[in-house]
Amino acid sequence: MRGILKAALLSTALAALPCAASAETLKLGVLATLSGAGTAWGIAMQGAAELAAEDVNATGGLEVAGKKYKVEVVAYDDHYKAADALTAFNRMAFDDGIKYVVGPLGSAPALAMLPVSTENKVITMTMAFTPKALSPDFKYSFRPVIPSDVFSDPQIKWVVQKLGAKRVGGLFPNDESGQQVGAANEAAYQAVGAKFVAKEFFERERVDFVPLLTRVLAQNIDAFELDGNAPQTAALLVKQIRELGFKGPIIRTGGDATADILKIAGKEATENVYVHQPINPDSGAIKEYTKRFEDKYKQPLNAFSPFFYANVKMTFAAMQKAGTVTDTDKVRDAMLALKDFDTVLGKVNWIGEAQWKSNQQLDAPFYVALLKGGEAHVVAKCTPKLCE
Amino acid sequence: MGYSILLAQAALNGLVIGAMYTLMAVGFTLTFGIMRVVNFAHGEFYMLGAFTGFFTYVCWDIPFVVCLLIAALIVGILGMLVERTLIQPFRADEMSGMIATLAISVIIQNGAVLLWGPQPRPMPDIVTGSLAIGPFSFSWSRLVVIAAAALIFALFWLFMQRTRLGRAMRAVAQDTETALIQGIRVNHVYPLAFGVSVALAALAGALMGPVFSVSPFVGATPMLKAFVVVILGGLGSVPGAVVGGLVLGMIESFTATIFGSLVSDILQLLLVILILLVRPSGLLGQREA
Repeated sequence: MRGILKAALLSTALAALPCAASAETLKLGVLATLSGAGTAWGIAMQGAAELAAEDVNATGGLEVAGKKYKVEVVAYDDHYKAADALTAFNRMAFDDGIKYVVGPLGSAPALAMLPVSTENKVITMTMAFTPKALSPDFKYSFRPVIPSDVFSDPQIKWVVQKLGAKRVGGLFPNDESGQQVGAANEAAYQAVGAKFVAKEFFERERVDFVPLLTRVLAQNIDAFELDGNAPQTAALLVKQIRELGFKGPIIRTGGDATADILKIAGKEATENVYVHQPINPDSGAIKEYTKRFEDKYKQPLNAFSPFFYANVKMTFAAMQKAGTVTDTDKVRDAMLALKDFDTVLGKVNWIGEAQWKSNQQLDAPFYVALLKGGEAHVVAKCTPKLCE
Repeated sequence: MGYSILLAQAALNGLVIGAMYTLMAVGFTLTFGIMRVVNFAHGEFYMLGAFTGFFTYVCWDIPFVVCLLIAALIVGILGMLVERTLIQPFRADEMSGMIATLAISVIIQNGAVLLWGPQPRPMPDIVTGSLAIGPFSFSWSRLVVIAAAALIFALFWLFMQRTRLGRAMRAVAQDTETALIQGIRVNHVYPLAFGVSVALAALAGALMGPVFSVSPFVGATPMLKAFVVVILGGLGSVPGAVVGGLVLGMIESFTATIFGSLVSDILQLLLVILILLVRPSGLLGQREA
């Protein structure tokens, strides 16, 4: 009897072997800033990838063409620098064999990396706001976040009309991202009758802005713009400009930095601050995602995170639809074919053909919020055409 | 904003960053003057001081002065241990000693990333608000840095001038062999000097934490500036480090305020080169015999 039992157990174990061998791994890369001032954005991207991976792994893996894939997230830090992003990407693509990357984060890293990722047919999901991040030349580059050249015009128009600001100043990082955002801001403010009277550039490592803010304040500005700055930097700018006695409105047209601004600058300094709000914090799905993220990462949610979570989910759906995880041409086509796809942001689509000749920009509504009593209160809902 | 306000703000900010550079550079130059070791890990001790200040102030909720003392004490003792175990074996070989400090720097920084994560942590202000005098507005948190740095430096100066240990350190700095003949235990002075040196860096880090923020990478810029300051002031000269720190702080602040950040970086180093062309041994340094 014991012999039969042993034989049965052995045969069961042997039968299970091919099954265990067929459980394959799908590597999902994260290439973002995981140290320094842009960390809040990097963690938002890494968190999105890890939470989406958790979702599919909890169901036994991502099922594509009858095979189950366990999703493994591999994250590298680009230090918000082009050279480091390129090095990390090469490691991802050639050593790890990764075909799907959440990243790059900034415009400078994106411009350095996209030609190589395109050549190697790697699908990327970038946060780079530069218009050059989307183009027919970079056919595997998707952008889930709404860039400033989409949201800045309607938002700036709304804020300028509401505040009546005529003279605006701002500090921008001295790289491709900062230069591009600075130029876009200047044009957007001038288009609605305000003048950008003080525009200064600084190296990203800088933490003491008092000399530069003093220089900006000498131009008698009515409002101060924070666009183009990483969350920690934006927060330090708010803190330091208030310490210099500036009581006028501060405008954050750029990517989400609300949690960091409130945390670092404090309640008092953040009164009269208008911020770009990519998500509606009152939405049920967003509330649920926020709780999940904050429970896991023990830090406030950066509002860009749900956009990447949505894009990763779309990528998984596209792989299933295309029936492959290796042929990124087919996955890309399947992703572009997704219409009214249900995500944490609501139903989303792809746009951008008219603006960048690349229909790989995610479309979702965005908001303007006023910081009051240490909280963000939505004061306007926007589309690429207008805020109201 | 008038021209006078612009200059007043620039002067105040120059004093703040000058004070930080001075505290960093005095410690840095002390190690070199006494031990002939260029401590590449000096910035990491600044970072450890900032983190100690952060944890004690935020988690324990105790007066900031006590946090400063704890930061100086913990980092100072750690520095003494580091000197005794990792730097002393290379005392006869300056180059190996420098490489050892470079390794210590990498170990401490990466250890901090593993332990506390890479993200910057905001530290609450010790004092909030600004001092408004007519059209001038000076942040209290920055004024506190200037006052605290002046007090710390005065205490350090008294320690060096009036105590047996301070005098022993100066004697070793001037001539190690003569100090030995006079009965000074050089082997005891070295770790103590290193401890005092890194405690000064820790005090600078803890003081600046609330003004900027705290992260494993905060030591890099002050370290670089400390290098420039000691070269400017004269390698091994404590008064030179004080003068150099304040001069560099002022140059940085005024050039950034008047010409902007990018021109400021060029002008700062250009002025330093010019000063060194006129005085190759630094502002208060002594020529090598």
